[in-house]
Amino acid sequence: MAAAQKEISVSEFFAKNRHLLGFDNPRKALLTTVKEAVDNSLDACEEAGIVPEIWVELVAINGKRYRVSIQDNGPGIVKKQIPLIFGKLLYGSKFHRLQMSRGQQGIGISAAGMYGMLTTGQPVKIISKISVRKPAHYYEIQIDTKTNKPEILNGRGDGVDIPPGEKGRKYMEKHGIDWVAFYEGEDGQPGKEIRSGTRVTIELEAKYQRGRGSVDEYLEQTAIANPHVTIHFTDPDGNTTVYRRSTTELPPEPKEIKPHPYGVELGRLVTMLKDAKSMTLSQFLTGSFSRVSPAVARRICEAAGLSTRASTRKIGRAEADKLYEAIQATKISSPSTDCIAPIGESLLLKGLHQVVPGEFYCAATRPPAVYRGNPFQVEVALAYGNRNTAKKITLEQLTELLGQSDARTLRQFLLLTFDGIGADGAEKILKTAGFGTRQSPSKLKPKDIARLHEAMRDVNISEGQTMQVLRYANRVPLQFKQRDCAITEAVMSTNWRSYGLSQSRGQLPSGPVTVLVHIASVWVPFTSESKEAIAAYPEIQRELRLGLQSVGRKLGMYLRRRKRVAQQGERRSIFLRYLGEVASAVSQINGADRDELYEHLVKVAKRMTAEADVKLDRQGRPIEEEVDFGDNVLIVESEPPGLAP
Amino acid sequence: MAKKRPVRKTKPAKKLSKSIVGKDRQTLQALRQVADTVVKTATRSRPPHLDIPSRSLRNVRYNKSKRFIEMGKGTNRRELFNLSQAKAYMQTMLVASGCKQLIEQQKTTSIRGLYYLLKHTIEGTKEETFDDQSDCDPVIEDLEVLLSALREELHVYASNRGTLVGNLVLNDSGDQIDCSRMGSGGYSIPSIVEDDVVEFVRCDAEFVLHVEKDTVWRRFNEDKFWKEYNCILTHGQGQPPRGVRRLLYRLHNELGLPVYCLLDNDPWGYYIYSVIKQGSINLAYESKRMAIPDARFLGLRSKDYQRCELTPSVQIALSDNDIKRAKQIAEYPWFKHKRAWQKEIELMLKNGFKLEVEALISKDISYVTEVYVPERLEEGDYLD
Repeated sequence: MAAAQKEISVSEFFAKNRHLLGFDNPRKALLTTVKEAVDNSLDACEEAGIVPEIWVELVAINGKRYRVSIQDNGPGIVKKQIPLIFGKLLYGSKFHRLQMSRGQQGIGISAAGMYGMLTTGQPVKIISKISVRKPAHYYEIQIDTKTNKPEILNGRGDGVDIPPGEKGRKYMEKHGIDWVAFYEGEDGQPGKEIRSGTRVTIELEAKYQRGRGSVDEYLEQTAIANPHVTIHFTDPDGNTTVYRRSTTELPPEPKEIKPHPYGVELGRLVTMLKDAKSMTLSQFLTGSFSRVSPAVARRICEAAGLSTRASTRKIGRAEADKLYEAIQATKISSPSTDCIAPIGESLLLKGLHQVVPGEFYCAATRPPAVYRGNPFQVEVALAYGNRNTAKKITLEQLTELLGQSDARTLRQFLLLTFDGIGADGAEKILKTAGFGTRQSPSKLKPKDIARLHEAMRDVNISEGQTMQVLRYANRVPLQFKQRDCAITEAVMSTNWRSYGLSQSRGQLPSGPVTVLVHIASVWVPFTSESKEAIAAYPEIQRELRLGLQSVGRKLGMYLRRRKRVAQQGERRSIFLRYLGEVASAVSQINGADRDELYEHLVKVAKRMTAEADVKLDRQGRPIEEEVDFGDNVLIVESEPPGLAP
Repeated sequence: MAKKRPVRKTKPAKKLSKSIVGKDRQTLQALRQVADTVVKTATRSRPPHLDIPSRSLRNVRYNKSKRFIEMGKGTNRRELFNLSQAKAYMQTMLVASGCKQLIEQQKTTSIRGLYYLLKHTIEGTKEETFDDQSDCDPVIEDLEVLLSALREELHVYASNRGTLVGNLVLNDSGDQIDCSRMGSGGYSIPSIVEDDVVEFVRCDAEFVLHVEKDTVWRRFNEDKFWKEYNCILTHGQGQPPRGVRRLLYRLHNELGLPVYCLLDNDPWGYYIYSVIKQGSINLAYESKRMAIPDARFLGLRSKDYQRCELTPSVQIALSDNDIKRAKQIAEYPWFKHKRAWQKEIELMLKNGFKLEVEALISKDISYVTEVYVPERLEEGDYLD
């Protein structure tokens, strides 16, 4: 028995427990791989002050195998570090510091590489370039699971240096190494050369499927929360989708902070004391924690019954215990919150508007707060309504679009052509029009098109829609375990009925609504290593609730006003309907000029129903005092209500 | 947006044909005034409205000295820019323009004809100006009270309902009619019986007998009751239309004939009598031209069941509604202080049944003409 006992390497452990890292099934493995790589790229770009541009390419090798390549325009990685970053688990710059970043532990990308190696036997391929003039480094790396150490396969264990410029490009072409060398220019011409960057290619067993929890969804949601990022995505079918940035402004760089005394547990305190060089207790406290001044340190020491001058060497287990309790009992101000960089209300609006179609957008950023000594900040944004383009299309336009479409089925045609229809909406339209799901769009007779047109006009696709909740932690979308997440819980426990939405008890509200919730923190409390759901600390729940309520209130105001405007519009249309008759009758009796009288009456009608004009007049004018939505509300103009007779 | 009605050519109001005289000229003037007000208010950017005298029970009162129902001064405002009134306003204007056309062209039409004249789809919608005739009729009455013009003056009439026979010669629209030679059908009383339409030429009759319905009237006509007793025999098919009431009024006031009513012994019969005598709430504004405060209620009386020894099989039980109605009628100010009437209604309620005039047929087919009415007239036994 004793002989069987031996050390377990981290790599071995995770190789057996891959689900802990998000590699439970082929589909999720693909997503996790893309996600880890993109997260790393974004972190690297932002840290280096580069506006990120990312290329994601999925290539199907056969039904089960895919090659995933992710390239960024980041600073690149110095040669020495490359094998360690990609070939060693738990190697990273982010674990030990308290700074807001997407990645935390340093498991992600190397785990993805390990997974690829385990399932396909192919090494991870990395090219990294730190400057235009310097050569790019090319590595093929495997991870040795026994020792958790990288093994370099090419260049006799030393990698290959590819010279810069034209020569290098020829070399890459010859050896089949992919590299995006130029930014996208105008009119399909190559733009500027990409100065630096990293490209990682992993071959793995995977499954590509669109929809919930897919790579597409992840990239789309990433684009929403990161409006400064441009993502080029090429799917296995060869179609390229580009999510373009709506701003070139980088988020402010978050500062690194020392831990706050409240957030430190006893064990950690003991370790810190042990690691500290010989110094006085006061020095130790002020030096290793944030918000501890000499005065605060003295108070802590007094409460603990220890001398401020005591050497850290002499603090034993019992003293540490006392010190820990003294810290909890002492009043210490909250940690400084400038270490958090929220997306910001205006960027949230931009991002949401860019990707989610709607008519009303609003956003709210809560002031920073603290849980267990870790500062965090909650941001909430909301989009309402789908600007359903399907409803407004004319029969001629539809016929033309159908003729141009290369979609295989009508359902696909509807989904691809029109914003905001959604799969359910498309199904409903097809069902109403009496088409089968596999109906081809190319073989429709004029009569069928007319039927489709009618169905598109009549079907209310927003009915039965439930709120879509987009969850983010440090700008990274969370796509799984929605039910276990503190964010979902907070959305469901908010009473949306009072904001004009319908909602069953303990359910998400229904309606064409999208809510985006972002938690930024130096240490996001995930419920598991695969970073899929946020733990429900009371402080976090409170902030979530307040944030949701503040966007809810604005939505309520908007919906109420919209209802009122609609009512007024309806009122006016009733009046207008009769004005013509009245004018004709009157002129019939006394010979007055019918048209002149009609104009006068219409003028009175407009004045009497001025509310309905609110929307018409608002362009270029400030929102009237009566309905003040406050800051950061975006209302997309729709056509004037109820003027048609 | 601007709606262009297909027919928009309006004749300038000044070019009225010379033949329009007297009352018609006045009515046109009143119509034009309404239209001018609309133009004036609209030009000043004000919401136009109409103040229509209220035709509700609250706005009528019993004038004790004149002994009929009069309309009060209460008005209902009808606004164009009020959601619930917009359509009614439009309809009022339409009816006004319709009547103006009728007067101008010197034509008359039925209320149903006017409804068809004005009914069309509002341009740009699927809505009709009037959904059915019941939408239109009250608007005509509104216009009557608004202009204080009679329906006849607006050149609108109701369908003929009611018949006359008797020793009377009259001139109807240029045709001389001897009402004693009308065969079995009788002279159908038109809805407009103003003196420019119906002119009395000669009258030998001594009184008017008004019966409730056609069947009874036929009995009297077949038995030539009017010949024997020298009277004029009319009926109004239940609640008499205004043509019949107006004619009764003229016969009473111009020829000095007393009016006797033979109606069913039930709350409805009492009510018909009340309308003939005092005027109706709905047409209170016309009471002064229609109410006959001296009209007499000849029968049937509550006591007739015993007096005429009728059998129980002719009884019709009073419904809850009847009882309620009877109590209401007893409270009418013009019945309230008449002991005979109070006793009459009390007795009916005590009997617990009502009697139709036809009940007398159970005695003998001609009992009502040969015995009942002559006896009552002889005795002078009627309610007033």
